[in-house]
Amino acid sequence: MKTVAYYRGCLASLSAKELDTSTRALAPKVGLELVDLETVTCCGAGDIHEAEPDYYLHLNARILAYAEATGSDTLMTVCNVCTLNLRQANFMLSNDDVLRERVNANLESVGAPPYSGGVDVRHLLWLIAEGDGYELLKQAAHKGLKGLRVAPFYGCQILRPSRLLGFEDPDRPWSLEAIIEACGGEPVDYPAKIKCCGFPIIQAREETALGELIQPIEQAIERGADAMVTPCPLCHLSLDAWQSKLEASTGRHFALPILHLSQLIGVAAGIEESELKFKRHVVSVKPVVEKLSV
Amino acid sequence: MTEAAVHTEPQTLEVALKVWRYDSRTGERELVRYEVEAPDWVTLLDVLDIIKDRVDGTLAYRKSCRMMICGSCGMRMDGAAVLACRTRMKEIVEAGHVPVISAMGNLPIVKDLVVDMEPFWSKVRAMKPWLQSGYEEPPEHEWRASQEQMNVIHKEALCIMCGCCVSECNSMESDPEFLGPAALAKGMRFVGDPRERNQVERLNAYNEEHGIWDCTRCYFCNERCPKGVDPRDAIAKLGAESIKHGIDHDMGAKHAKWFVTSAKTTGWLRETELVPKTQGVVSAIKQTKFAMGLLRHGKVPLPFPPHVAEEVDEARALYNVVKQQGRDGALGHVQGERALARIDHPDDAGAHGGQGYRDSPDITPGEPPVQRDIGEDPHGQQTR
Repeated sequence: MKTVAYYRGCLASLSAKELDTSTRALAPKVGLELVDLETVTCCGAGDIHEAEPDYYLHLNARILAYAEATGSDTLMTVCNVCTLNLRQANFMLSNDDVLRERVNANLESVGAPPYSGGVDVRHLLWLIAEGDGYELLKQAAHKGLKGLRVAPFYGCQILRPSRLLGFEDPDRPWSLEAIIEACGGEPVDYPAKIKCCGFPIIQAREETALGELIQPIEQAIERGADAMVTPCPLCHLSLDAWQSKLEASTGRHFALPILHLSQLIGVAAGIEESELKFKRHVVSVKPVVEKLSV
Repeated sequence: MTEAAVHTEPQTLEVALKVWRYDSRTGERELVRYEVEAPDWVTLLDVLDIIKDRVDGTLAYRKSCRMMICGSCGMRMDGAAVLACRTRMKEIVEAGHVPVISAMGNLPIVKDLVVDMEPFWSKVRAMKPWLQSGYEEPPEHEWRASQEQMNVIHKEALCIMCGCCVSECNSMESDPEFLGPAALAKGMRFVGDPRERNQVERLNAYNEEHGIWDCTRCYFCNERCPKGVDPRDAIAKLGAESIKHGIDHDMGAKHAKWFVTSAKTTGWLRETELVPKTQGVVSAIKQTKFAMGLLRHGKVPLPFPPHVAEEVDEARALYNVVKQQGRDGALGHVQGERALARIDHPDDAGAHGGQGYRDSPDITPGEPPVQRDIGEDPHGQQTR
């Protein structure tokens, strides 16, 4: 078992609780022991980073410090945006002693622990796409996916900027495909799998965002996908909840089920519906469940 | 051949390329494969020169300096915008990969690899890319700008206006009027200049529709920029400067500010209140039907009791400490740049996942965009 500090972020605590429950159910099956972080806050998404960058750095330093205090060398994320925010702050603090000392003095002045730079921020996807996690995943996925055609959707901030993320080639990613195959599914390739779902501007610029959102959904369906999987709850919210708006604005019928990464593997690993919580999805996952139960 | 001559003779490569040829007068397009022998040090631009000299003189592309300064030779390799003069071919050829070369995206194609840069230049011009120093008469002394002051725009000043950042801009694909990464980075270059006197006027202009809050944060611009400008980070600096100057009328700014309020009150995002706080109450009410659909699936968490982080007082106190230290606006972004520049990555760290260059048959992103039924323009580029 690898012990990791588990940063679930805002959405998995709120509107995407199914991501949290399915991640918790999956973790032991892929060799991960999760240590909860109760005192941490939101990473600020791209929003605090943009509006109040110094506060962004301090909030993320505080999260990293509490993760370090658990004694684990790894902070596990389940969201692309959290991953980029925390990794970026981590690089800023680890590569600049003067900056880190100032931030630490501020953290200590409010009663938080200082951060020494000893934590690596890793997304769940990266922990199970290679190495021991991948081997355990193959064993865990005993029920398989019966050749389900699954479209991987990476989202942006787990790929780009690659110098901050660096796990895989941002133009030729492979990790989701490897996991889909290991689970007995068939990956569906399509160009928009590395593009934006539109979520960051879906409230402020809905029309522009929907113009982005339609691309992965339309392409995945054209190529015969039964479902789509994403490692990001923000992409999930956009792809799942806003799909109805896309249908309303185009007059077309999509009904493409969208699964969180932990749910897709969870199905293949026989995790109960009570943990996967498909009822919390706006687009029905029933066709997928029925296809697999035949 | 003497032994000395053997040592000076470069090794050669058999380079193969597939090039999307296109003629905007006829609309004809064709993917043409070229194979040429070339020295092993060649760049993509050198290979195009060899093809044009020896194989097909009708091939059209732009070039000038051949040394990453002029910004003329932006084009796509396998769907990713690159400077042809910066792209060495040896590793690609040795991997057995035949790359697909095409024109940059988000700009109309004139012929083959040549795009019409006018939409690009008009957006740069809209930023008023000149200093507005605020005085009519020459000052008595020269301006002295400290290094620290100039560091704020050090990266933005590196731009060579090649258009690589614009090529894959996801917001611009969806909204062609979006000012985009190159123009906005140019805007930051002037907002952040210590000699500039019209920051507020500029920020107000950049906060309009199709401005900074239209950026979808896809980070393609940072990924593609060959000069380290990091346009997305420049846009974030403009956002921070806007908030600092109290320019927060746009929904994007309101959205960002609600995250700050959430973090310092409950620690976690107050998700359900985000829509009314961003769009205003009237607009939020219009979303009621949509919201009810989400509510049925638990996607609208009740704001009461609020989800409060333990020790949230620390997050609140941190905000006050940080505000007292005054690193608001672009400075808050600039302070991390030195550390980020030190990130030490071996070339292509983790890239390709050990799988090498994979030929993706019919969906290589380097091929012209798939035509969608929501419209196309005569140049074959995606539009809304």
